[in-house]
Amino acid sequence: MSQSDNSFEPNVIDDEMLQKAVEEQWPEDIRKLAKAEGINFKDVMELQLSFRNILQIDNLWQFEYLTKLQLDNNIIEKIEALESLVHLVWLDLSFNNIEVIEGLDTLVKLQDLSLYNNRISKIEHMDTLQELQIFSIGKNNLTALENVVYLRRFKNLHTLNLTGNPLCDEEQYMLFVVAHLPDLVYLDFKLVSDTTREVAISNYHYLTDLLEHEEAQALAQLEEKQAQQKELEYHKTAFVEYLNGSFLFDSLYAEDTEAAKLAYLPGVDDLLQAYRKDFVSVCENLFNYCLKEHEKREAEVSDFYEGLHEVLTANQEEGRRIILDFENQNKTRLDEIHHASSHDTAESMRAEYNEDILQLSETLMTLEMQMVDQLEELIKEFERNIAVIASTFTENVKGMMTQCRDLENRHHEKLLEISISALEKSLKDELNEELPDDVREFLGDKNTIVNMVNKSHKIHLLKISMRECDILLNMYRWEASVKEKALQNEIDRNRNRVKEIFQYIDDLQEQLDNTQIPELTE
Amino acid sequence: MEVLEEKEEEEQKEEELKALEVSSELHDTDTKLSVEQVCFSSDVPRSSCLNCSPLYYLCFSASFCLSSDFDWNSIDTSQLPDSYKVNSPREKKLLRIAHHYHQQFAHLCPERKPLFLHPVNECGVEKFVSTTVRPTLLPYTELYHWDGCASFVSDYLTMEPLKCPLTPPTSLYSPTTILKYQRGNCFDFSVLLCSMLIGAGYDAYCVNGYATHDICSLDETLEECPLLRKPQEVPKEEVKNSNKYRVKSPPDMRSKFELQQEAKKKAETEATEKKEREEKGMEAEEPKRDHLCGLRVHAWVLVLSGKREVPETFFIDPFTGNSHSTMDEQFLGIESVWNHKNYWVNMQDCRNGCKDLVFDLSDAVHWEIMLSETDKPLQLLLGAAKENELFDRNVDDMEEEEEEEEEEISFAMPPSWVAPIQISPKEFETRCSQGRKVILYKKAKLEKWAPYSNGNGLVKRLTVYADSNYTKAVEVKEWFKNREDMLDMREVNKQTQLITEYFSPGHLFGLKVHTYKSMNPQTERVMEFYTETRVDGLQKLAENENEMKEYFVGRDDFKYFQHTEFRAKRKKVTLVDTRTDVNSRPIVQIKECFHRNLQKPADEDVAERVFLIEEEMIQLTYHLKDKYITASKKDFFKPAESYRKQSEIMTPEMCITYQAGSSEQHTKLVHLYKLLRELTEEEKQLKQQAWRTQAEVLKILEIRENEEADIKLSASIYDTERNEKKRQEYEAMVDKSLQSRKLGKILKREQDLDYLAPFLIQIGSPEKMTKRQALRLRDDCLSDFKNRLVSKANIIQAHFEKEVKELQKKNQHFQENQNQLSEKEEADFLADYSETMFRIHILALRLDREKQTAPQKYLALEEKLRKDPRLAEHLGHA
Repeated sequence: MSQSDNSFEPNVIDDEMLQKAVEEQWPEDIRKLAKAEGINFKDVMELQLSFRNILQIDNLWQFEYLTKLQLDNNIIEKIEALESLVHLVWLDLSFNNIEVIEGLDTLVKLQDLSLYNNRISKIEHMDTLQELQIFSIGKNNLTALENVVYLRRFKNLHTLNLTGNPLCDEEQYMLFVVAHLPDLVYLDFKLVSDTTREVAISNYHYLTDLLEHEEAQALAQLEEKQAQQKELEYHKTAFVEYLNGSFLFDSLYAEDTEAAKLAYLPGVDDLLQAYRKDFVSVCENLFNYCLKEHEKREAEVSDFYEGLHEVLTANQEEGRRIILDFENQNKTRLDEIHHASSHDTAESMRAEYNEDILQLSETLMTLEMQMVDQLEELIKEFERNIAVIASTFTENVKGMMTQCRDLENRHHEKLLEISISALEKSLKDELNEELPDDVREFLGDKNTIVNMVNKSHKIHLLKISMRECDILLNMYRWEASVKEKALQNEIDRNRNRVKEIFQYIDDLQEQLDNTQIPELTE
Repeated sequence: MEVLEEKEEEEQKEEELKALEVSSELHDTDTKLSVEQVCFSSDVPRSSCLNCSPLYYLCFSASFCLSSDFDWNSIDTSQLPDSYKVNSPREKKLLRIAHHYHQQFAHLCPERKPLFLHPVNECGVEKFVSTTVRPTLLPYTELYHWDGCASFVSDYLTMEPLKCPLTPPTSLYSPTTILKYQRGNCFDFSVLLCSMLIGAGYDAYCVNGYATHDICSLDETLEECPLLRKPQEVPKEEVKNSNKYRVKSPPDMRSKFELQQEAKKKAETEATEKKEREEKGMEAEEPKRDHLCGLRVHAWVLVLSGKREVPETFFIDPFTGNSHSTMDEQFLGIESVWNHKNYWVNMQDCRNGCKDLVFDLSDAVHWEIMLSETDKPLQLLLGAAKENELFDRNVDDMEEEEEEEEEEISFAMPPSWVAPIQISPKEFETRCSQGRKVILYKKAKLEKWAPYSNGNGLVKRLTVYADSNYTKAVEVKEWFKNREDMLDMREVNKQTQLITEYFSPGHLFGLKVHTYKSMNPQTERVMEFYTETRVDGLQKLAENENEMKEYFVGRDDFKYFQHTEFRAKRKKVTLVDTRTDVNSRPIVQIKECFHRNLQKPADEDVAERVFLIEEEMIQLTYHLKDKYITASKKDFFKPAESYRKQSEIMTPEMCITYQAGSSEQHTKLVHLYKLLRELTEEEKQLKQQAWRTQAEVLKILEIRENEEADIKLSASIYDTERNEKKRQEYEAMVDKSLQSRKLGKILKREQDLDYLAPFLIQIGSPEKMTKRQALRLRDDCLSDFKNRLVSKANIIQAHFEKEVKELQKKNQHFQENQNQLSEKEEADFLADYSETMFRIHILALRLDREKQTAPQKYLALEEKLRKDPRLAEHLGHA
């Protein structure tokens, strides 16, 4: 019995208490063994801390792999310090003084949650507990039936306990709950009968229909958003985010105040329209080309990994075969050595076996060396192919970007022409159109207008170059990362294999060394 | 009387025949009857064969030892309908046309043999061959398809050879007669089969032509049994997309020269072996030369493509019921074909057999048609029909009428003279005459029986021999039907003495295949099971003296194999003993293998578990981790009893661990201890399980022995003839339902008439009632009825008023908002309005009628009360 049972002093969770609690749940024999060896809290899967007058949850972070935690019958006031117990499946917090549901967001694996006999007045903050199956919140201060609606988000919830809450006194309590949670199997320790369910659904379908409609809408919106996000991600991996449509063109003019002013000049509008059309079509071409190239790259990479996988599987089988052969041949060898007729024979047998082990090690290492050679070639070939793909891609992208620049140049020339002619006209006072004052202002001087057009042109060229740079840089990064990954994988693999072989051989030799041989007889 | 006598005679003959067959079976092995003898066993010619070549006598003279003694002359024709005995005027005309046609044919092609046009039937009357075909669809599902028909015909009829193998017979009997006596030659077979096929909707024709000796004489001894033919292996198309990333194989260090030499040597030895084998085969299987090749007359059936979704034209040999391609080399030529409508003569060259023949019968160059009317347009046909009617009326005149070209063209084939073909269900089921049929194939003998004819349900037996003389049996396969123990097939290999039994689904233990040498327990055997029916997923159980191998499928614990080894029996123990002490047969070791459980990490997922029970050891081998070549291992040495008492229950020495790919060697002792405890528990249960399985095997064997000792055949619940119990039940049920129906009627009459019951109960249902009571009863009853009528009227009235009110309301609403309403709303309103009006109308009608009929009903009840026997004495005269 723990000393804290009868005292009203609140207790603190400390090392001693935990140690004790862990020990208590084992049978006698294991406890002894564990004590001798020392307890590692990481290995503990279940923990019971009931009836201990605990006021505050604390110091549980060491129990990383805990799946079941009982903290019932304490005087806990706040749910806290459970964030690190992400493997929890079962959590019992019944018979405490909790007022608010909180601090459970990280416990995504939770299936069974008991908050029975607390002071909770609202069901909330549980959105992440999607695995929840059993939920007990009886004997609390829930008053509003609407709390039940919150529980609709738990698709796996099949058992619910609400008894002893004020809301249970409401006339329609049972039907309301069943109608809103049609998948419920047990409510308040009782099986929900089909007839009840039918009645409830027919009584409340006007409410639930509305809810369902809303939920469906929300879901659809979410899905749409996700789809968009996904597409954007896809475009990003192909380095062409925001290249389809007129995004790039619009960005050219986004920060260009001069161009906006120039647009008032007669004839500029048409020119802009035509320019925009051409520019966007080039962008589309580039976009499609990049997507296609992306597919090609993916295919190349997956081809490589497929081939690699095949080779590795074959190699694994080969290695496995060698080891199994060895093991089958030498199954009884240790026994034979152990029971050898004399020290000398045993000694010689041991030497022989040792020789065989070394031989095995040799074979395995040769196999591995061969593998390394083969893979090296494979990776080189892959790198070559990737390089070819990258360079063609770079060239083609550059070519298309040049098209963009040409378009811009042409547009610039025409714009200049129009501006100058407009200038001349304005000087001759032949402009009939109404123009804003600031536009009229710069139409006064040739230098100003030429400068303006040039400035706009420069901004555009800069934008185009930046976008080009972006794509090419991304490509370069991709190439480097793919190569790096392939190489690194191979290095890791090689290291692991060599380590494995050594370990295996060591193990064999250790076994051999541990084998007792007959004593030297005089 | 004559008929009776004849029947008796026949029966006698049949008995003789049976006796002969039995004796022949007995002597089968030593007399070595040649096939020819069997085939040419019918020695009674139907009529003399005049134009036979002397060769016929040569090949026929050797066949008189095993005769069936069937005399076609003795068959009873007196019972046959008139159409068999005389020709109708149209048939006579047809015969004349045929004669004319034949003359022309003989004139044009003098070198060809006479056509097979109008042989005599069983009554000695000449009938045109097309009219002998009687298209019939028989009411059996199997006979809806060509293969069912063909196998039925080939099974049902006994084959008789042609009297003269080189000419068509001079007679052709009706299919009904053939069915009755269950025997016939190839022409009889073909006509019957053709009738059935045309009836089933196939475009089928009888063919008169030439075939090889084997086909003509139903000699299948050179053919492999179709049941033994191995299914053609479909070469698997390996879809291997060649990946460009492939490693180069390490350089081959072996000497190329040596390899070449080796290959050469191998090829040489193989070649010589092959040669030897071929020589041997040649000796054994040299086909006999047939001097009459290409002259032997045969009849078979041609099915043209098109109807019944037949994709390709093919032949059916009526003797075997097998289909043959039109390119088959065994069919050597065609003289003519006919169906129930017409007759065609083949004008094509048959030097290359039937390979190059064109089967487009409308092609006038290749096929000479006899009655060309079938291709004429409908109008002409109608005209022809009218003319024919005229002919029929002037029967007497017709004889004198001369043949005219036009008539010949417009003449339609008269209907068949043959009575409808009928096969009773029993005959259909019994199939072969006397319910048994034997076919000899190359080194194999196939026997067939009708279902239920053998007490053990045997329906087919195939014996495979090592030699062509049918002496050394190698393998016997027996097929069963309708057995209650679901035994489907038994295969006995005479060389290895291995017996394999195949079961249909539904055996008590889900048994599928049972292979064994003897039924004694703990001998070599393999049992396979229908896994779906077994909880433990056992698929196969192989057992021999000291070990048991179990194979599982689809288990939740991923186990797929278990190997249990038992301690060898020390001394001879009697059978009875082993049966009893099977529960404690000591087990040496149990090995279990598991599939990968993907939910666990590989080095925690056990792949193999070996319990070395005698050595007190448990070995665990785990699955391979990805890319690893060594598997993790744990070997437990169970502590000895004395050791356990000490304080230390688990020491590091008790478990040797090898953890692949992690240097951290030591798992905590606590875990190991827990694991060990679990394993020990498992071991106990496995032992129990193994003993249970052994017991189950014994049980199965026992049940099998019982079943085999007392074979029961099951009958379908629809088969009232066999299923005695069901029939009784059925009859009882019919009786019962009849009775209950009668009873029901009486009861009903009594029950539903007592309209006074509620009132009688009110006054306590006295036996006799006083006048006052009677009067009160009457008044009560009447007032009650009145109330009912009134309330009914009220209800209708209420409905009526409600509808009217609603209508008014709606109308008002509509009037007020008329200009604001959209078109659709207006239309809705109007539709609603008309519907409401309709309802009001109906309600008004009903109310009206109710008002009218109420007084009448009231009076009727009063009258009835007065006449009621219980009240009559008080009210009758009131």
